[in-house]
Amino acid sequence: MRELCEQAVAAALGAGASYADARVVVRRSQVVGTRNQRVERLDDSETQGIGVRVLVNGAWGFACDRRLSAEGAGAAAQKACAFAKAAPGGHRRDLAPVEPGQGKFRTHVERDPFEVALADKVELCLRAEAALEHEDVQVTSASVRAQKEHKVFASSEGAATEQELVECGGGIDALASRNGVTQIRSYPSAHGGSSSQAGWEFIEGLGLEREAPRVGEQAAALLKAPPCPSQVTTVVIDAEQMELQVHESVGHPTELDRVYGTEAAYAGTSFLKPEDLGSLRYGSEHMNVTADSTTPGGLGTFGFDDEGVPAGREPIVAAGVLTGFLTSRETAAKIGSGSGGSMRADNWSRMPLVRMTNLHLEPGEGSFEELIGGVDEGLYLETNKSWSIDDKRLNFQFGTQVAWEIKDGKLGGMLRDATYTGQTPVFWGSLDAVAGPEEWVLHGLTNCGKGQPGQHAHVSHGTSPARFRNVQVGFKQ
Amino acid sequence: MSEALDLAHRVLGAAEGEQALALVHSERSGMARFARSEVHQPTLIENDVLELQVVRDGRLGVASGNRTDEDGVRALAARAAEAADSAPADADFPGLAPPAETPQVEGYDEETAALSAEDQARLAAAAIDASKLDLYGFFTSGVTELALASTTGLAVSQSMTDASVLALAAVDGASGYAEQTSWRLGGIDPAGASEQAVEKAEQTRGAVSLEPGSYRAVLEPPAFAELLTYFGYDAFSALSLIEERSYASGRIGKKVFDERFSLADDSLDPRGLPKAFDFEGTPKQRVELVEDGVLTGVVWDRTTAKRAGDGRESTGHAPPSSLRHWGPLPFALSVSGGEAASGHELAELVDDGIYITRLHYLSIVDAREGVITGMTRDGTFRVRGGKIADPLVNLRFTVCVPELLADLPGLTRDSVLLNQSAYYDERYPTGMLSPAVATGRFDVTGVGSGPGV
Repeated sequence: MRELCEQAVAAALGAGASYADARVVVRRSQVVGTRNQRVERLDDSETQGIGVRVLVNGAWGFACDRRLSAEGAGAAAQKACAFAKAAPGGHRRDLAPVEPGQGKFRTHVERDPFEVALADKVELCLRAEAALEHEDVQVTSASVRAQKEHKVFASSEGAATEQELVECGGGIDALASRNGVTQIRSYPSAHGGSSSQAGWEFIEGLGLEREAPRVGEQAAALLKAPPCPSQVTTVVIDAEQMELQVHESVGHPTELDRVYGTEAAYAGTSFLKPEDLGSLRYGSEHMNVTADSTTPGGLGTFGFDDEGVPAGREPIVAAGVLTGFLTSRETAAKIGSGSGGSMRADNWSRMPLVRMTNLHLEPGEGSFEELIGGVDEGLYLETNKSWSIDDKRLNFQFGTQVAWEIKDGKLGGMLRDATYTGQTPVFWGSLDAVAGPEEWVLHGLTNCGKGQPGQHAHVSHGTSPARFRNVQVGFKQ
Repeated sequence: MSEALDLAHRVLGAAEGEQALALVHSERSGMARFARSEVHQPTLIENDVLELQVVRDGRLGVASGNRTDEDGVRALAARAAEAADSAPADADFPGLAPPAETPQVEGYDEETAALSAEDQARLAAAAIDASKLDLYGFFTSGVTELALASTTGLAVSQSMTDASVLALAAVDGASGYAEQTSWRLGGIDPAGASEQAVEKAEQTRGAVSLEPGSYRAVLEPPAFAELLTYFGYDAFSALSLIEERSYASGRIGKKVFDERFSLADDSLDPRGLPKAFDFEGTPKQRVELVEDGVLTGVVWDRTTAKRAGDGRESTGHAPPSSLRHWGPLPFALSVSGGEAASGHELAELVDDGIYITRLHYLSIVDAREGVITGMTRDGTFRVRGGKIADPLVNLRFTVCVPELLADLPGLTRDSVLLNQSAYYDERYPTGMLSPAVATGRFDVTGVGSGPGV
């Protein structure tokens, strides 16, 4: 694989590239999904190929080939150069200087998920599903997934890295329905569960079967719960929903390629400007956000990104002030700060983009009970249900699967159909407490979309539950 | 026999089971994506994905890969067999699709198939050069081939082409949008799309805010198509219907929408991106979903048809296996046109309201009731006195789609094809035919940023 990367880089330089890099990726994935005690998915997939990225006269080119052969490597390099030459740009593209990454990285795995029999995975899903059952639950579902990716990278600057990344994930859902009302509860996250860069031990640690009875009962109970009223109130948001809050309203707007407009036509841009670095007040003094591609178990953890830049940790928001962007070497060079480290590609057939790695809301102090105890009247919002944010990442609206009333510092009754909305800096400015490290949870999501052609990124966020004042809940009519 | 079908037969020959279905999904595509009038994300893709479903003792397993050599095919067959042996027997398994005559469809164009990377770059440049504002978007074209062969004797293949240009003309404080999609390059005018986006952008300068509330509205085809696509995932899928998650649950046969509204799923229409069969190999059928405001049906695959019983049969809407958990999907929605000649005529019908070009980041708040939230962007205007007036900032909306569809004062006569592919995973071009519509109810629940980048 290393030789193929080197051949591709040499071929690209020979075809006129001033810079070239090549990635060989071999990925295997398994997905087991059951629904109402029936196996819905039992898939075992493999894909492999080489992707070659070049700079020719200041223009990027990218091409790929599924053949892991000298012929495939050479063809991808030639085509990438031809495409770059055909679409010349009008500006220089500088890359931030970086010591060429060299080395190996491997996910720490206690139990290889591909050594766990598929039949055992099916059995786990069926057992967890059975434990969800309730007379009002119409649809039960469970899923587990595993992925192993072997990636070799080389660049014309001398970077040479090799990585083996292993992921596991899973989750359960109960959909209850009666008299035209439908409600869902999920664990440990909505939309397919949670994943981690880890072995099968992560799945075992989730306790899907153990949690299932509570999930099924809550889904059924939601059918009888009153709808959440519209109001401006104090909200405490659980760690799972905070994951998405951080992702959408901090992660995406701090991607520096979006700031420069390269996602304008699709995913959108950002309300941030390069000159905001170091001065823009993003939120209250309780807001501390860190990008960390070294977090154990994080889906965005690696030894080197897809430009060969070593993993690292960087504050993005410190005490409420913007202190960093997520960057590539190209975007870092534009602001004269940093050296990239956030370039990631979805598999071998896509060009790397600036992506989140692991982006965390740093914990504050105190327990969850203390967080709730500081609320005279408000809501505790749990588990994402819907999500939407505008193209500059300012106006957002999230829905959660369940809301719980808070009265005099105690959790009360259940409410359904809760949504909350806000403007990003105003909302983060209303953050008045984040629970402590003992409440901090790492969640991993696998459906972060960006780019054209589209790419899915796997990203983790560590968060504790957090409290916000004066939040609009429900729809403002 | 096509190369893909030949490969599918080779995969089938390696299968270890009583029944087997081999699928080959080939892609040759190029995309010249640009921002600030420069190509920045150019991507050329060539791939052949092989998928094998095998049935052993009534148990189904699926494996996929992209190695086409003998070792790769043999390994694929072994993984599929292991997957099948790991599954419990499934009494609801409908069996593999029998051979059937597939409809003759259009959807392949030699000129489009022959486009090179240089051509794709040239066509992107044509859009860029025609814009006096910074242009963002892409030109893309591709050739996709789908081939299926099974132990039932099924052997089908289809080559399809597609080309699309997306143009967002934008500067600080102004942005406008246009897109064109066709299976024929001759149906695409990159410069024309660019000019249309610029013209729209110029009208958005000086955008003002709007009080939240319920407004009458005109939705241009890109906006209406996206809203209907999200609504359709649940509303018109047999799996959602069976599981009582669908708005259609308990409402089939009832008049629930404006009588001006008729909707079908029609993969056979040459104005769209035609398909002859689905991912189970079942021939595509046109399915009437709404006729004159009456909910008349949903789309089915073999699994949901068997679960429903009553002699129900697949309508040819099985999705790729990676999306099987979604159930059958309407990939080719088509809205019947009305009588209005243009969006301006619809604005006259609205009289006092808003005019919306495009939507952004939709999310389903309540699938059963059809409640969807999202933002408007790149061309939102106030309508006053029946005329398109002041530009507006981007609006947060949270609409109950059935309520929006229950009062449609007008639709334009002509429909346009809207690209519905975001090009994730393997290329499978899909599009929707939609007119512009006027609605009596569009609920604005907040405001966002102004137009522009």
